Amino acid sequence: MLRLRQRGVLPGFRLTLGYALLYLSLIVLIPLAATFARASALSPMQFWHDVTTPRVLAAFRLSFGAAFLAALVNLFFGLLVAWVLARYQFWSKRIMDALVDLPFALPTAVAGITLATLYAQNGWIGRWLAPFGIKVAYTQLGVFVALMFIGLPFVVRTVQPVLEDLDLEVEEAAASLGANRWQTFWRVILPTARPALLTGFALAFARGVGEYGSVIFISSNLPGKTEIVPLLIVTKLEQYDYAGATALAVVMLIASFALLLLINLLQWRSSRYYART
Amino acid sequence: MEPVAASNTARHVRRRSPTAESPFVRWLLIAGALLFLCLFLVVPLLAVFVQAFAKGPGFYFKTLTDPATVSAIKLTFITVGIAVPMNCVFGLAAAWAITKFDFPGKNVLTTLIDLPFSVSPVISGLVYVLVFGAQGWFGPWLIEHDIRIIFAVPGIVLATTFVTFPFVARELIPLMQAQGRADEEAARVLGSGGWQTFWRVTLPNIKWGLLYGVILCNARAMGEFGAVSVVSGHISGGTNALGTNTIPLHVQFLYDSYNQAGAFAVASVLTFLALVTIALKAWIERKETRLKL
Amino acid sequence: MSVEVRNIVKQFGRFPALHGVSLKVESGELVALLGPSGSGKTTLLRVIAGLEFPDTNEGRVLFYGEDVTDMPVHKRRAGFAFQHYALFRHLDVFENIAFGLRIRPGRTRPREAEIRERVENLLKLIQLESLARRFPSQLSGGQRQRVALARALAIEPKVLLLDEPFGALDAKVRKELRHWLRKLHEEIHVTTLFVTHDQEEALEVADRVAILREGRIEQIGTPEGIYDHPATPFVYDFLGNVNAFAGRVHNGAVEIGETKIAVPETAGKGDTDAIAFVRPHDIHVTRRPDGPATLAARVVLCHTAGPLAHLELERLDNGGRFTVALSKEQLHQLAPKPGERMFVELRNVKIFPEDYSI
Repeated sequence: MLRLRQRGVLPGFRLTLGYALLYLSLIVLIPLAATFARASALSPMQFWHDVTTPRVLAAFRLSFGAAFLAALVNLFFGLLVAWVLARYQFWSKRIMDALVDLPFALPTAVAGITLATLYAQNGWIGRWLAPFGIKVAYTQLGVFVALMFIGLPFVVRTVQPVLEDLDLEVEEAAASLGANRWQTFWRVILPTARPALLTGFALAFARGVGEYGSVIFISSNLPGKTEIVPLLIVTKLEQYDYAGATALAVVMLIASFALLLLINLLQWRSSRYYART
Repeated sequence: MEPVAASNTARHVRRRSPTAESPFVRWLLIAGALLFLCLFLVVPLLAVFVQAFAKGPGFYFKTLTDPATVSAIKLTFITVGIAVPMNCVFGLAAAWAITKFDFPGKNVLTTLIDLPFSVSPVISGLVYVLVFGAQGWFGPWLIEHDIRIIFAVPGIVLATTFVTFPFVARELIPLMQAQGRADEEAARVLGSGGWQTFWRVTLPNIKWGLLYGVILCNARAMGEFGAVSVVSGHISGGTNALGTNTIPLHVQFLYDSYNQAGAFAVASVLTFLALVTIALKAWIERKETRLKL
Repeated sequence: MSVEVRNIVKQFGRFPALHGVSLKVESGELVALLGPSGSGKTTLLRVIAGLEFPDTNEGRVLFYGEDVTDMPVHKRRAGFAFQHYALFRHLDVFENIAFGLRIRPGRTRPREAEIRERVENLLKLIQLESLARRFPSQLSGGQRQRVALARALAIEPKVLLLDEPFGALDAKVRKELRHWLRKLHEEIHVTTLFVTHDQEEALEVADRVAILREGRIEQIGTPEGIYDHPATPFVYDFLGNVNAFAGRVHNGAVEIGETKIAVPETAGKGDTDAIAFVRPHDIHVTRRPDGPATLAARVVLCHTAGPLAHLELERLDNGGRFTVALSKEQLHQLAPKPGERMFVELRNVKIFPEDYSI
């Protein structure tokens, strides 16, 4: 039996750790255990079958693919926004800086119905795209747009502090060696921001893969075409296909854990990289 | 060789600081960023409020005072009233254990706390269905004792607690880590008891981080959709019954019933809350930077 | 041929950094810009580099006759080394040094083999060949500064500008690098300007030293020249310790207490009050009045610091205190006791007739 030795001078170790572990177990660990237990009740064959039907594979392709693309595009725009906020002064800067957190603070259902309405054929934005034959609402493109919306703050807020802390002397050094502004940006500033960019990308991607509320309103949710994995899980639950839903959930959980580990690893390496030498 | 100076001030037009882009590039970048932000953030924000009042203020207030809406608001408040304080206590306990002591497995604990962040909200709800649902682990036992968790309020509270439980801890842990143990140890040396130390020394130091964590936790709890959607029965409440629709679920209900203006009316309340959250965050951050300087 | 600045005026908000400074550095020379903080020396260096620009049109910067005042920094080929190195942390030592060569536009960029050769030669020069693939975070401060210097030298700069290059290093490393820099300069002969607030460093390393004070050049000269013949009390005091003796100039001699010292420079000028500056090691102490040693003083205290000893004395005529520097041997021979009366001889006296306060 593991004995919790009192460590350190301060009191309350056993109390706080005990409570924290208890709470963690009740709220998080036990339900997760149930999920894995449930999934292990399935035979491997059954499990494999459940997660490789065409409909499921299409959902995986959409969820992961759209999340990947959205995070990628957010890298570009997120860097642009972070750069502008970190380096320049302009009218409305304070408001814009605060607004970047909107997709993070806004409930997903609200984001969902708003984006669906905006990008519909007769919506404020959709009507400008319609003449070009571009349909956003009720298509895979709509899923992409929704995931871009919710992923943006993850990239901006990860990159912004790094850009704000850039050492101007290093930029001056590059200039004194003959680099023009573009060369300095491409060869010095961007590589310095790369760890933060990677972390931001991973965070946005992880969020996008599991996103539900923002997506189901703008997507037409057609099986095999515009159906995301979370929705598929809900559908299976409604049909009492607990086994199928659990199998999918386990795959998603494993992906989530892997991403979580990756993100922690990236953040740990970043903190070493940026540590004041 | 040198031009005769026409005036005493230098020709700044041709001289640019070595770490600044040309004005043209700068304005191009700012314009690009602003255009993107307006399209992606400002327009949707405006859309919520415009759509909310599309049928006039009368309809707006009628929607907000509708029994179903009121019931949804009540349910949300009950949920938040339970989930947030519980998570707050957890956050304080976990942060205290992690930052004031050294023990093996500390990193594992920190990673576990981050778990709900990386899990899809739908799965967050699913795991509770698998434990408490009709076919869950405790399913039969619950049915026997006529206790309803899934498709009832307790399930909603549990799912919301799961999804929002990292927020306070994640705010406090880095903050308390950075503050170190010196203050508390000094208090102990002076004879302060455990609770005393916490109330008089730790709490004042972390009050802004704690407030911010609670605000975030609250905002997320009120707006949680995916997890609650799975465990709820999607039953609208009325004047006599609470129902199992929180505010976000009620928004979905209205929207799916083609009552767009109504859906946005209720959504505007949540949006306003989001704006308050953002404003508070900005305010607290400015306070913290001023304190640090 | 020279690197020259003329009439540089520079103000930062309300703070005037440079008041119309002019300076000429001959090709191949190593000049030190010496002065206290706020004297404008770093600002001057940055103006030469192109990291700052002069405020007025009269201010010009010329590199070997070419007016580069309006030229942006990345075109000037002025190698710059920062006090905190400013190395590229994401690049290893090799790539840091090669940076200036790799970014040259296609036509002027050297081939890969040539880049490698040049970088390896520089690594040999700075004696860090074995560390070529390390990253800056893995190097000591002294090593980093050497890499920064090599990086600046790689572009074959027209002038090398060093901003307090050893300021962030330990005393021992500073001394080593100081000698290393001198040797490097003798090998390479790049026109070099370096900024320092350490007078020992400036006097040891430079061909010429320019002393700056509050945005103006007080004096320029060779190290011996300005040490032996300081133009102002500020320079005198800045370059070493100084004792100030109040006295009176009369008939080509200065009278300090009972001592009369001939000061030919003042002959023909009227009688004035004067301050005489004497270095602590230029004072000779004896027990009996012996020849020129005629100023009476009382021993206050003495203490040793390493190989040197300091003797603090108080003038018997007006109570003014002064310090004498002796070797330990001399102190043992003298064996002074506190309160004892001694007689001192002042050598190498410098008179500044106006009433300067240091």
